[in-house]
Amino acid sequence: MAVASIAHGIAPEGEPDQLYAETRDLRLQGFLLFLISDCVLFSSFIFAYLYLRNSGQGWPPPGIPRLDVGFAAWNSVLLFGSGATMHYALENWKHGNFMKYMWMLIFTIILGLGFLGGQGYEYTHLMLVEHVTWAGSGVFGASFFTLTGMHGMHVFFGVCYLTVLLLQSAAGTYTKQKYFGITAGTLYWHFVDVIWVVLFSIFYLI
Amino acid sequence: MSIESPQLAHAGGIADHIHPEPQGFVRRYVFSIDHKIIGIQYIITAFVFFIMGGLLAETIRTQLLNANGGFVSPGTYNEVYSIHGSTMIWLFIIPILTGGFGNLIFPLQIGARDVAFPWLNMISFWIFPVAGLMLFSSFLMGAPTAGWTEYPPVSLQGAAGTSMWAAAIFLVGVSSTMAGLNFIVTILKMRAPGMTFTRMPLFCWAQFATAPLLMVATTALAAALAALFMERQFGVPFFDPTKGGSPVLWQHMFWFYSHPAVYITILPAFGIISEVLPTFARKPIFGYKLIAFSSMAIALAGFMVWAHHMFTSGLAPYLQLPFMILTFVIGIPTGIKIFSWTATLWGGKIHLTTAMLFAIGFIATFLCGGITGIFLAAVPYDLDVHGTYFVVAHFHYVMVGGSLMGVFAGMYYWFPKMSGRLLNETLGKWHFWLFFIGFNGTFMPMHWLGVEGMPRWVATYDPQFQFWNRFESISSYVMGISILLFFVNVIWSARAGKKSGPNPWGGRTLEWMIPSPPNYYNFKHIPTVFGLPYDFSHPLPYKGLDDELTDTPPVTASSHY
Repeated sequence: MAVASIAHGIAPEGEPDQLYAETRDLRLQGFLLFLISDCVLFSSFIFAYLYLRNSGQGWPPPGIPRLDVGFAAWNSVLLFGSGATMHYALENWKHGNFMKYMWMLIFTIILGLGFLGGQGYEYTHLMLVEHVTWAGSGVFGASFFTLTGMHGMHVFFGVCYLTVLLLQSAAGTYTKQKYFGITAGTLYWHFVDVIWVVLFSIFYLI
Repeated sequence: MSIESPQLAHAGGIADHIHPEPQGFVRRYVFSIDHKIIGIQYIITAFVFFIMGGLLAETIRTQLLNANGGFVSPGTYNEVYSIHGSTMIWLFIIPILTGGFGNLIFPLQIGARDVAFPWLNMISFWIFPVAGLMLFSSFLMGAPTAGWTEYPPVSLQGAAGTSMWAAAIFLVGVSSTMAGLNFIVTILKMRAPGMTFTRMPLFCWAQFATAPLLMVATTALAAALAALFMERQFGVPFFDPTKGGSPVLWQHMFWFYSHPAVYITILPAFGIISEVLPTFARKPIFGYKLIAFSSMAIALAGFMVWAHHMFTSGLAPYLQLPFMILTFVIGIPTGIKIFSWTATLWGGKIHLTTAMLFAIGFIATFLCGGITGIFLAAVPYDLDVHGTYFVVAHFHYVMVGGSLMGVFAGMYYWFPKMSGRLLNETLGKWHFWLFFIGFNGTFMPMHWLGVEGMPRWVATYDPQFQFWNRFESISSYVMGISILLFFVNVIWSARAGKKSGPNPWGGRTLEWMIPSPPNYYNFKHIPTVFGLPYDFSHPLPYKGLDDELTDTPPVTASSHY
């Protein structure tokens, strides 16, 4: 069992058994399909946003200030950076560098929290200073807060999941062969990153 | 039939893994993770909702006996048809064909011991009755009144039940999404050795074409429902034109789901028909690959036609033509199927069992529904009959004459596999003929009324339409009686029907090679497949099934290869 070798990092080499390998493939495929359907959920709201944006008179609608692109860009850097650290976390796990993996995971969580903090600041600023709200600012508020809020929830759940991963890894749940949870977390985190690329482009850049 | 040497299963993998048999009533029959039990749970629950939706339908027809109505108030009438449509589509047809027959049959047909994610399967079942009760609870707080499509702005002004409706349909959607995901992974990863895609039974192909629709389209609907819910409960403007929203946006989002949804409801029925016809014509299915690929073509094209529901909603004229043509294009794969089925019957040794009668009846009535679909896809004709009973007639020819007849064919065909007993054939034939007559009597005159301009979704009508409406209502009672006979048959046969044995119909797909009802582990050892199941003159294309009907315990080692 892996538990014995935890103090020294990741458990030693060896082929995973056939049942685990096949189950992992099923779960991987199932997880990818889940991400696809999640992507459709975002796409539907993005379609709604673009549809509403193009059926009114100009964007942002009269009375709504332009979004602060500079702040959001710096905030995005945090999220994209966390994508890179997550990538290195998984790579380090595969190569057996347990401590580097743990640090990379911690950096990812911190960057994710930083992004959420930035978004929280942006929301507060919009609502209190600019008086742009979810329900009270027409289709702008509806589409902006719904989509970025959905994305923020995804980041939040991702941070929770990565924290669980961190605790599980420390407790020795995963081994050099059996680490599907880490793969899934990485995929999910990259997915959240990619969604943000799209949201950032359509809300701040165009 | 080409015989290739199939890939052998790896020792020690999923194919060799048998879960311990669950103990206790709750783990076996309530929170079961066995795909067969879950399938039967889906079928029973869906039929309960079918009875409720059917009573609502008879309420509609009773109201329409007289030109000035009088059975229920116009407001109640609006609630009744809205919940009738929502129930039949989301709580009956989709769950029974995918969750019900899908769960029950296709893992057996591909030679698997269960679906890929049994726990997910259990969760996705248990969401479904909860959502159904939520939907019906909306009657307590003022049910939705804008029809099953719930177009804003009417749905924004509807009573509190409209939000409950949105939440309930959202939950059914979550359940469908999980089922679709589960089915895709199962079919991709868990086929028996040698079961290549081009040796898969057509019912599995149909489920494989349906599953992505379940997954992708339903999620799109979830977004629309969430937006409607947020707008109603929190005032977040998406659809209200006075706040800059767009009611047409809802129509886009709704139909982007709901047009694929009609293929969710019909593709599995196509699959059932493709199994029943060759079995009772004792003849290989004509055009196996054409039927399989046309299912995929329909599923794919189904995503590109949604705006043909919106020709009268102010769709830009340059968009009307492509949507019209793409909708015509869907007629091609559907026509391929109809021709293939007819050619399967040609020269066959036809056994007119009840399942076969329903399958043949399906071809006839579905053809009618398909042809009126082509009418409606033509922009000029649609502008004329949009919102009339012509649409109602078309829709019910597809949903009742198509999907429901498919469900009945599947029930008569697979009931022995579920229960080990045959349904009574005499009652079954009464069921079929009364249903067929009642069905056509109810919905055929709606075409004429629609062309004459009788609007749908209205509680009263012009007295000139009275004769045909009375004719329809009386026919609908005949249909109701036939369905009553069906339920009597099911309940009686489940207790006292004739024992069927493993293979009462001489079927050749894998589910008939094992006892009825099957053991919880399905196969004692996973068989190896050498060819198509439809070649009736050849020996069976399976190896490794010798022990299935004996008393030997299941083998988990793969030494028998």
